[in-house]
Amino acid sequence: MSRWVLVIGLVLVGLAVVLFWALRPGGPRARTPAGVAGELPTPTPAAPQRVMLLFPAADGALHPELRDVPLPEEIHERVRTVVTQLLEGPRRGLHPVAPYPARLLDVFVDGRGNAFVDLSGPPVPLQGSFEELALAYGIVDSVLLNCQELKGVQLLFDGREVPTLTGHLDLSKPLRLNKSLIAAR
Amino acid sequence: MGSTPTASTMSFFMRKLLFVLTVTAALMAVSTPAPAQGSSVSFSYAGQVASVPRFASRIEVLPVLRLLGAEAGFSPAAGTYVIQLDDHQIQIAPGSRFVLTDGQLEKAEEAPVSSPGGLAASAAFIERVVLSPLGFHLERLGMGYRIVAGARVAPVVDVRPAVADFGATTTLVLTLGRPVKATVAEEGGGVKIDFADARPQIDRSLPMRSRRVLGLRPEGQRLTIVLARGMGLLSSHELTSPDRIIVEVGRRRVPPTPAPMVAAARPSRPTIVIDPGHGGSDTGAVGGNGLQEKDVTLAVARRLAAVLQADGYLVRLTRNGDETRALTDRTALANRLQAVAFISLHANASSFKSAKGAETYYMSLHDATDEHAAETARKENAAGAPRHGGSALDLILWDMAQARVLNQSSRLALDVQRRLDTLLNLPDRGVKQAPFVVLTGATMPAALVEVGFLSNPAEARQLENPAYQQHLAEALARGIEGFLRSES
Repeated sequence: MSRWVLVIGLVLVGLAVVLFWALRPGGPRARTPAGVAGELPTPTPAAPQRVMLLFPAADGALHPELRDVPLPEEIHERVRTVVTQLLEGPRRGLHPVAPYPARLLDVFVDGRGNAFVDLSGPPVPLQGSFEELALAYGIVDSVLLNCQELKGVQLLFDGREVPTLTGHLDLSKPLRLNKSLIAAR
Repeated sequence: MGSTPTASTMSFFMRKLLFVLTVTAALMAVSTPAPAQGSSVSFSYAGQVASVPRFASRIEVLPVLRLLGAEAGFSPAAGTYVIQLDDHQIQIAPGSRFVLTDGQLEKAEEAPVSSPGGLAASAAFIERVVLSPLGFHLERLGMGYRIVAGARVAPVVDVRPAVADFGATTTLVLTLGRPVKATVAEEGGGVKIDFADARPQIDRSLPMRSRRVLGLRPEGQRLTIVLARGMGLLSSHELTSPDRIIVEVGRRRVPPTPAPMVAAARPSRPTIVIDPGHGGSDTGAVGGNGLQEKDVTLAVARRLAAVLQADGYLVRLTRNGDETRALTDRTALANRLQAVAFISLHANASSFKSAKGAETYYMSLHDATDEHAAETARKENAAGAPRHGGSALDLILWDMAQARVLNQSSRLALDVQRRLDTLLNLPDRGVKQAPFVVLTGATMPAALVEVGFLSNPAEARQLENPAYQQHLAEALARGIEGFLRSES
């Protein structure tokens, strides 16, 4: 008798715990059921493709580094992939595009072919046009070369538009592909 | 059996435990919030009521928009929902706080999420980010909401105007009581400034006397600048500390055809404007030896001015001391003086200690072209009836003139770079293009020269040396004069 009571008691405790967990706000029943709507923006499983990433060198030019990475079809996911790869840094003797450990905070693509890339801002002000150009066009040119349906990229820092980083480059609007900064082969 | 009392105690204990657990389970089941899915909230608009599903603590957005008659579709390529109602368009990406409202990128306080209905957000987000730009707001109605036409009345922002007439232009400075986002555009015979979430209130304690700015007319969230006949918006920009909107007005844009380069009004001796980069609180780059970019640029600029003056040119510096100057004011000075060339001097810095040499930049065509003006021209052409005669043609001519000036700028940059490389035996870092703020809007050949790297210890020592500064100045002067001779 007492064994049955114990079993029933444990089952009830288990049920109560499961019920509480399942129905709490943010619990699994409150989340999006997998595949509930075909139009939900879930990244397409991507096959590895060759991307060209541009990193600065002492000659002031941006030099390409090729990498095979899974590249999603969705444009905003592709931008995210390219920038993430870029911020991981170069794998050979080039320099990072950002002279500080920049993080990618967000990516937004508008309907006019412009991507907005939000980065964590520099902890101390950058100096000189060299660093501003390397950071801006390392990202802008890498994104535009790998996402050719885009026409411009605007950099945001900590969620804000900035007029300029070091008092040189106009960052208040999307930048276009700038081939003059890419090293000639 | 000796175990009987223990079994009896156990049985009693277990029955008590079972009772407690049953009651606890029942209480937990009753006290758990109702399942988020399946519950709904009512929205009413113009006599229609829609039961809008909730999604956890959020509300499905798309049914609210359907109630208003707005179109909303998902762009899988961009990953955004595009919402369209009348002339308004809003783009929202699930999971992102960025929202593009009528072409303006804004960051919301929260991010909407993907949901079974497509997109879900809080009621506050729906009101502030979605309904307000479309011209609606929410009012609580029982357990739901009523959508009411008309955005919420925005709070007041004090605007203190100051105006100054110059030779051909007038500068209007609007000092704001607090930071407010605003867009400036030309409309009809005036300039309109639309404030985001603020109603301008003009401080009229200062007298405003101007030949070109006739008055300021606040109306809701818009401030209209009334201009004299024939005047138009030349440029606008924003400054902070304090927050200001600077508007420059003058005669409507006419293409800077070659005529200004040989205008009769120009002084007999051509004027060259030299811009020593940075200044005042903006030190620019700082070398390992403590040498500041603002000091190097001023020293070289003064020497360059002396060389050019000795060769018969009129020269103006954008600053002749340790002063702060807005970047746009520097080009504006060159435009006002109808200078034949504008050179902005800088010194570079890099985390590569080995980086050295000079490089010269000029604007690229698509960065120099006024996209907003081009967009206006496209709209007017599409409408078939320009609002003011010939503006589309003016813009085409303006673009052509810009292309011509940029061609000249590329030759100026090349001449200067070659002289620096050969006279100083510097490593050639080449001529490049980039949208530098200080070159934007220049109506004459313009270039930005980085004379060397303060981060390179050897080069920093040279840049500090007066003799080397003189060599630099002479090389720059030979480059500028070579360009001007080839143009004459």
